[in-house]
Amino acid sequence: MTAAARRRQAWTAWAFTLPFVAVFGLFMLVPLVSSVLMSFTDFRGSDVTTPWAVNVVGLDQYTALFADPAFRRAMLNTGYFVLVGIPLTMAVALALALALNTGITRFRTAFRVGFYTPVVTSVVAVAVVWRFVLQPDGPLNRLLGGLGITGPDWLHSTTWAMPSLIVMAAWRNMGTLLVIFLAGLQALPAEVVEAAAADGAGPWQRFRHVILPLLRPTLLLGAVLISVVYLQFFEEPYVMTRGGPLDATLSATYYTFNQFGFGRYGTASAAAYVLFVVIAAVSVLQFRLLRARE
Amino acid sequence: MPRTRKTLSILVAAALTVTACGRSGTAGTPATATTVGTGPATGTVTLWAQGAEAEKLPAILAEFEAANPDVTVTVTPVPWDAAHSKYQTAIAGGTTPDIGQLGTTWMSEFTAAGALAAVPADLGAGPFHPGAVASTRFDGGTYAVPWYVDTPVLYYRTDLAARAGFRQPPATWDDFKNLAKAMQTRAGAEYGVALAPRDFQGFLPFAWSNGATLTTPDARTWTLDSPAMIEAARYYQSFFTEGIADRTPSTDPGAYQAAFTDGSVPMFIGGPFEVAALADLGGPGFAAKYATATLPRARSATSFVGGSHLVVFEKSANAAAAWRLIRFLSLPQTQVAWYKATGDLPSAQAAWDDPALAGDPKLAVFGRQLQDVDSPPSTAEWTRLQDAGNAQMERLTVSGEDPARAMATLQATAAGIGTGAR
Amino acid sequence: MTARRVLLHAALIAAAALTVLPFLWMLLGSVKPDSEIRADPAAWLPHTPTLDNYRQWFGALRIGTYFGNSVLVALVTVLGNLLFCSMVGYALAKLRFPGRRLLFGLVMVTLMVPGVVTFVPLFVVVARLGLVDTYAGLILPFLTSPTGVFLMRQYLRSIPDELLEAARIDGAGEFRIFARVVLPLCGPPLATLGILQFLASWNNFLWPLVVAQSQDRYTLPVALSLYSTGEQATDYGLLLAGSVMVITPIVALFIALQRWFVQGVATAGLK
Repeated sequence: MTAAARRRQAWTAWAFTLPFVAVFGLFMLVPLVSSVLMSFTDFRGSDVTTPWAVNVVGLDQYTALFADPAFRRAMLNTGYFVLVGIPLTMAVALALALALNTGITRFRTAFRVGFYTPVVTSVVAVAVVWRFVLQPDGPLNRLLGGLGITGPDWLHSTTWAMPSLIVMAAWRNMGTLLVIFLAGLQALPAEVVEAAAADGAGPWQRFRHVILPLLRPTLLLGAVLISVVYLQFFEEPYVMTRGGPLDATLSATYYTFNQFGFGRYGTASAAAYVLFVVIAAVSVLQFRLLRARE
Repeated sequence: MPRTRKTLSILVAAALTVTACGRSGTAGTPATATTVGTGPATGTVTLWAQGAEAEKLPAILAEFEAANPDVTVTVTPVPWDAAHSKYQTAIAGGTTPDIGQLGTTWMSEFTAAGALAAVPADLGAGPFHPGAVASTRFDGGTYAVPWYVDTPVLYYRTDLAARAGFRQPPATWDDFKNLAKAMQTRAGAEYGVALAPRDFQGFLPFAWSNGATLTTPDARTWTLDSPAMIEAARYYQSFFTEGIADRTPSTDPGAYQAAFTDGSVPMFIGGPFEVAALADLGGPGFAAKYATATLPRARSATSFVGGSHLVVFEKSANAAAAWRLIRFLSLPQTQVAWYKATGDLPSAQAAWDDPALAGDPKLAVFGRQLQDVDSPPSTAEWTRLQDAGNAQMERLTVSGEDPARAMATLQATAAGIGTGAR
Repeated sequence: MTARRVLLHAALIAAAALTVLPFLWMLLGSVKPDSEIRADPAAWLPHTPTLDNYRQWFGALRIGTYFGNSVLVALVTVLGNLLFCSMVGYALAKLRFPGRRLLFGLVMVTLMVPGVVTFVPLFVVVARLGLVDTYAGLILPFLTSPTGVFLMRQYLRSIPDELLEAARIDGAGEFRIFARVVLPLCGPPLATLGILQFLASWNNFLWPLVVAQSQDRYTLPVALSLYSTGEQATDYGLLLAGSVMVITPIVALFIALQRWFVQGVATAGLK
């Protein structure tokens, strides 16, 4: 490209980004910078009318956080939720997307809408039905009883409350990933897939050696988006367990939410940025892993 | 992009310079009480109210607007769960209404933020229930007018209690526990009483009734591991360890009301609005099957007092009219009409002499209970302490932690939080 | 092959049934009286079906205003996102310019910062601009989104460069290439972005709650929460009927956008 063409392209690119940058700068960067600054102060709920009259405390909020057992517990819980939840959700969503994209000819629309309903169903209704399913003498335990297994009191057990919420989250979020994966599958060049079939590759080989590599950018997109959501998980424990029993389902975002509620803005901001660092690290890792063989 | 980077660094530098100003000695603004006078209200008054209150206010306000033809009152309904956030952000953004409805436990936070105007000296409202007045005060000033009060009392099924051999409400702690047990053994109840396993506020009446206090009299030091507190905790715990109360009750809203009406858990401790909820749920005739009673007595029979206050925000452009509106809402006759519309208990003492309240035996109980109530100290740290308390209650009731150890842990946490007293 | 197909269908039907159950419960609950919803044990089918809950919404509760506000805010938000995010996504994926890496980095940073932490500062910005209680205040902060930019950039990277080069050699300007070559290829990602942003805007609760200061600016979820919290939390029927009305437009939109996901549309564009 010539220098003139390059310069012209740069001008065009800036013109393309201008509306976004204006909104982004004003409504995202300014609040972001303020909240980062807040995490280095002792900002409290009672300081909102005089935001400049607070003390700079450096990293004190951060050291205090890591000294708080509830916060450490919340971080561990978040890790548990993410490490189990993301692979589970992605695997289920990918399996459904593949099945809907290739194997199904009838009722395709009905299936897609069906799998998407959990995403749109109000969390209140979801909570009521899931609590009903999971209660000690509920349908799930009756089913297990039929198989000779005595099910636990899922939501009140420190062992089983978290797995219950993970399954519920996977159920609620697979619809979003399904939509993204379907769009990705649709964008695959049909010739390549057909050519592989013509070469006599079986379904598994086709998936493993043709579809999966081509789908990598979409998988990365799905993985990053779902990580951002899962690392901030909050609604499930909020409506199901209130973080209990004994903090077994207290998440990092729930902890932050509580600190805001207590008026401890500085602590809450610090907690949010610790979580941010984790999210960023996980995303970088995903970029590396899924890009490796591009 | 260098330009962006430079802009960013300027922003950061500027913010840091200003941030470094530091905290001045006191945050609270001195009480500069204005006067209201007696003339008619004019202009526009905006009022934020929560839930049922916002729904019923316009009808009551019609009378005020008729008496003050030049005033327009705009009511904006705010959902309860998110009301605290809404007031918090509005204060931060300087976009508060003229009048707000504040929960009693939020008062110290918003007063400390300097967001509330002091009550004018010549407002002339009241007298109010003393228990409700405590939370309107902050640093020697008064910043709110009590609107309605809320206090939990005992709800019990009289039909099942009779079957269990009790013709009278339980008077003492021993009576209370015996009745709860007998409800299970002789009246077919699954559990004797619904007690919250993870609710420090629900435990407070037991602590207060046993003579325990939350702080020293000067409100500077928490006293959560006193012998009286530990003894109350042991009593509360025994309901769970002896299987009289459910360790894992359903968290569906209204589940305890359903259990009350079907008789599986025939006692609970609840506020005045339960009467209407139970009438809806139990259907006609159910009111004859249960009664309310003041809390059972140990050294005293002290309950919790909460409710809502009305405040005028510091930034109000029409404070004079706003205070006149609040004066109208605190008049005894307005409060009686308000009680009939909403079931909210009047804060004004005179309103309780009205036959509508005095004549109803279920309600008279609330009037008696209000004679012996307490509230948590007026500190911005309360919500945080309450959360720590909830966690220890859960250890106590669900894990069976030793009461002395649980309360010692709570005291240690509380000492770290402080009382916020200056 | 046939046996496998039957098995696959059976498995999918079972899975779909599991996912739809709470949705069904919500639909059925919205036509039950409150006492039936909370009866224990609860029955699936309403004993005495009633439209009272809906009647209440359409009667005293001014649902028209809230619905109109929700539609306006969601539509403008979605249109803004479709246009602006695809423009930025295109620039980031296919154009070279100084500041590209920084811009993408900042986008990724904001994508990952928990929203709860920027909430109050954002409100202060909007309040200083005098946008409280205006539609602009409800819409502007969400007119673009880091998620949308990331999504469009990821999809646009898979468009072959040769296609764009060919257009450039034909003498087309960048805006023309974007409008005539790039956008027509973006059916599936734009449909995805549209659904995600519509859903986000439609369900957004806390922001419209604090920005709207009068009832005239309330959106559906805010109005709904008036009846789902505090002492009214027990009015399940009203809440479920409200939820059904909140959800219906999303399901309708999803069904309408279905055809963008159906095999052929995307690949036809590439040929």
